[in-house]
Amino acid sequence: MIALIRYTFATVLHTQRYLAPLLLFMGLMGVLTVNGSGPLPPAYASSAGSLFICSTWLTIALMSLDDPPQRAIVVVTAGGRSLTVLLAAISTALLSCLVLMAFGLFFPLWMGDYVVTTTDLLLGLEAQLTCALVGIAIGVLCSRLVFKRQGYALIAALALVMGALFAKGMPPVNRLFTLMATTPDAAELLAPTGVMLAISAIILAVFTVATQFVAGRRE
Amino acid sequence: MLRLQSVSKRYGRGDWILRDVDVEAPAGEIVAFAGGNGSGKSTLLRIAVGLSRPTRGTVAARPPVVGYVPDRFSPNERMSAAAYLTHMGRVRGLTTSAASARAGQLLDRLALVGGKHAPLRSLSKGNAQKVALAQALLVEPGLLVLDEPWSGLDADAHGVLAEIMTEVASSGSTVVFTDHRESVTRARATRTYTVSRGRVCLEGPEPQATEQRPVSDVVLAAGRDGRVPQDLAWKQLDGVTAVRRDATGVRLRVGRESTDALLFTALQHGWSVETVTGTTTDHHRTPNSATNGDMR
Repeated sequence: MIALIRYTFATVLHTQRYLAPLLLFMGLMGVLTVNGSGPLPPAYASSAGSLFICSTWLTIALMSLDDPPQRAIVVVTAGGRSLTVLLAAISTALLSCLVLMAFGLFFPLWMGDYVVTTTDLLLGLEAQLTCALVGIAIGVLCSRLVFKRQGYALIAALALVMGALFAKGMPPVNRLFTLMATTPDAAELLAPTGVMLAISAIILAVFTVATQFVAGRRE
Repeated sequence: MLRLQSVSKRYGRGDWILRDVDVEAPAGEIVAFAGGNGSGKSTLLRIAVGLSRPTRGTVAARPPVVGYVPDRFSPNERMSAAAYLTHMGRVRGLTTSAASARAGQLLDRLALVGGKHAPLRSLSKGNAQKVALAQALLVEPGLLVLDEPWSGLDADAHGVLAEIMTEVASSGSTVVFTDHRESVTRARATRTYTVSRGRVCLEGPEPQATEQRPVSDVVLAAGRDGRVPQDLAWKQLDGVTAVRRDATGVRLRVGRESTDALLFTALQHGWSVETVTGTTTDHHRTPNSATNGDMR
């Protein structure tokens, strides 16, 4: 698994497919969090939203790195375990998001004027992780493994991202943002955000299983 | 021994690509699948290596370590050949140093042009094929599966590939390959299956005097315009079953159906046609005689 993650990282670095989603993340962070002040939860909602879109795009890019013959070689090299190859791509996306999470956690503090507590930081971590997991889940489902035509994958990804962001009260993303925008006290938000995190983990697991099932049926 | 039992395959509700295929690939043998484009060879190999599941039937006794070379390998990556092979070696469980050393050995043996550190996307088709072959051999495979492995390789690499296949089979592993040219499968394989419209049948191992097919004996000489003709890998050309070179030129035995194409190729490369004589020969050849290929 570690060797597969290293290979995926090396490939994505060589192809520079990470650049576009990374620049989008940086741009959104700059627009949404610079010169902020007051309670931290709304600022961290912005970080989490930026990471949500970035993680979706990054995951789609990661899942499309290898063309079908190369993917066939990787699967056979990994002992025929296509699920392991899929999990390695997901782990690579997750590790990349962890790096971005650190940026999303401290950039608002650096550029704005906030009173920081440990609870705020914990909430920021939970919120970003929630959005990263949902973004990765959408990216996995809208990958080449499920959609042969990239245009359809793009439309499906946009629909799911928009739905998750704007469907009123829908957990975990929209519900999380509503809570963080309306409740200034981080301590009150920790428990409901934890529930959203659990839901996002379940969504990722379900989407991963669905992707593996569809890819298996295709073969 | 890899065994495919009553294997059938179709995608979705489409046409059957393979129907009731029974194949045995014993350890120590080089097994060939011959057939035209779209006959189902590649699908059969994908099932053999475990990339694709049969719609019906079973695959039994697949060895744990499988090396696979697909028919197309054109990675659009900046990563170097050496780095790519090192990564693949690590995925197979080698240490970084062992994977790097093994990659170097294989690339040296296959004579990769452009160097080990050339980006993969800058490699020609033949050189990319060499990298694909090297990744399949990083760890000694129990089953080596090659889809049209000679495609794009130069004459020297043809010989090295044949050596490697023989070595892998001699070590007790199974080698399976496809090629659309009967001459290649006859020359390299110890067991040949023909694939046609999804049906697979084993070619008879014993010569049968009743089954004869027309062949042509072709004598080629240097061109009369003084040009030196280009020597070709005659045995790799479609339909060529025997080759003999002498001081004045080359004598070939070729299946009648491939004679025109051979003559056209020869003329294009500066040869002059001395004689073409029609005759007949046994359709089936024993494995031992098939690996020889010299005209007596």
